[in-house]
Amino acid sequence: MIDSLCDQAGEKNLAVAWLYCDFLAHREQSATAMLGAILKQLVSMGEIPENIRQTFRKRFSDRGLRLPDVVRMLKTTIPLLPPVYICIDALDESTPKSRQGLLESLRDIFWESPSMRVLFTGRSHVEEEVKKYFAEVITIPVSPTEGDIKAYLGMRLDGDTEPHAMDDYLRKDIMRIIPQVISEV
Amino acid sequence: MAQKLSQALSISDNIQSFNNVKSFNNVESFNNVNSFNNVINVSTGTLDEDNQIREWLSPLKPQQRHQGVRADRLDGVGDWFLETSEFRKWGNGEDGTLERVLFCSGGPGVGKTYLT
Repeated sequence: MIDSLCDQAGEKNLAVAWLYCDFLAHREQSATAMLGAILKQLVSMGEIPENIRQTFRKRFSDRGLRLPDVVRMLKTTIPLLPPVYICIDALDESTPKSRQGLLESLRDIFWESPSMRVLFTGRSHVEEEVKKYFAEVITIPVSPTEGDIKAYLGMRLDGDTEPHAMDDYLRKDIMRIIPQVISEV
Repeated sequence: MAQKLSQALSISDNIQSFNNVKSFNNVESFNNVNSFNNVINVSTGTLDEDNQIREWLSPLKPQQRHQGVRADRLDGVGDWFLETSEFRKWGNGEDGTLERVLFCSGGPGVGKTYLT
């Protein structure tokens, strides 16, 4: 999807940023660092906008970057850019505290930025949290298609490190039964 | 310990001799190098600041993670999602569209990350 957006970014002129939340990176993934990473990607091409440069010069020596700084910089930078697409993966893997900061800030920015689009992925239990901040959210249930499962199984079987333990019957059974069981889930 | 220390010392020796070579070069064609350096300093000054600003904005490197996900993903898997009308409307980016926020919901291991 990010690749598809980036392909389109060339043709249609879009600004794309993304984030992968990770259980293992809680300490680094504060709301400030996450929104900062989005802003960093949005300004990775071309020149750094003047508002960011000024904030940097003011803040760099006296204190670190804080959440209101990043939110303000995002609000003033997004209108300078082509339509902005933000993808946030595994929202459920962020800590409740940074998730709250992230969602609250994104909503504030979103309200002032009509060109902004957001896509989250996550387990269903965080959906209510997203709805609290974005009442208009549209949910798409994700489950792998049978074709996806078969393609994946085929790839794994082709890479089998013990091919002598496999025969055509076993392979056929695997390709038939596993997709069936998964689609029942 | 002693070995580490001697290694460190020999590294610093190397650096020092490297510096010497550099300053020797500078001396050799002093005027040219000097004016050349001035030009370089002006441009690397702002380039350095740009990089410093990007570093300051966030220590996170989501681009790297995306490279990893992309490398593991099988071609064509998840393409169904790109064809959904919700995603297409979201991606169209027309002003006033209702599809501005999407949430892809699913249990662990269904492949949400590989959609992104």
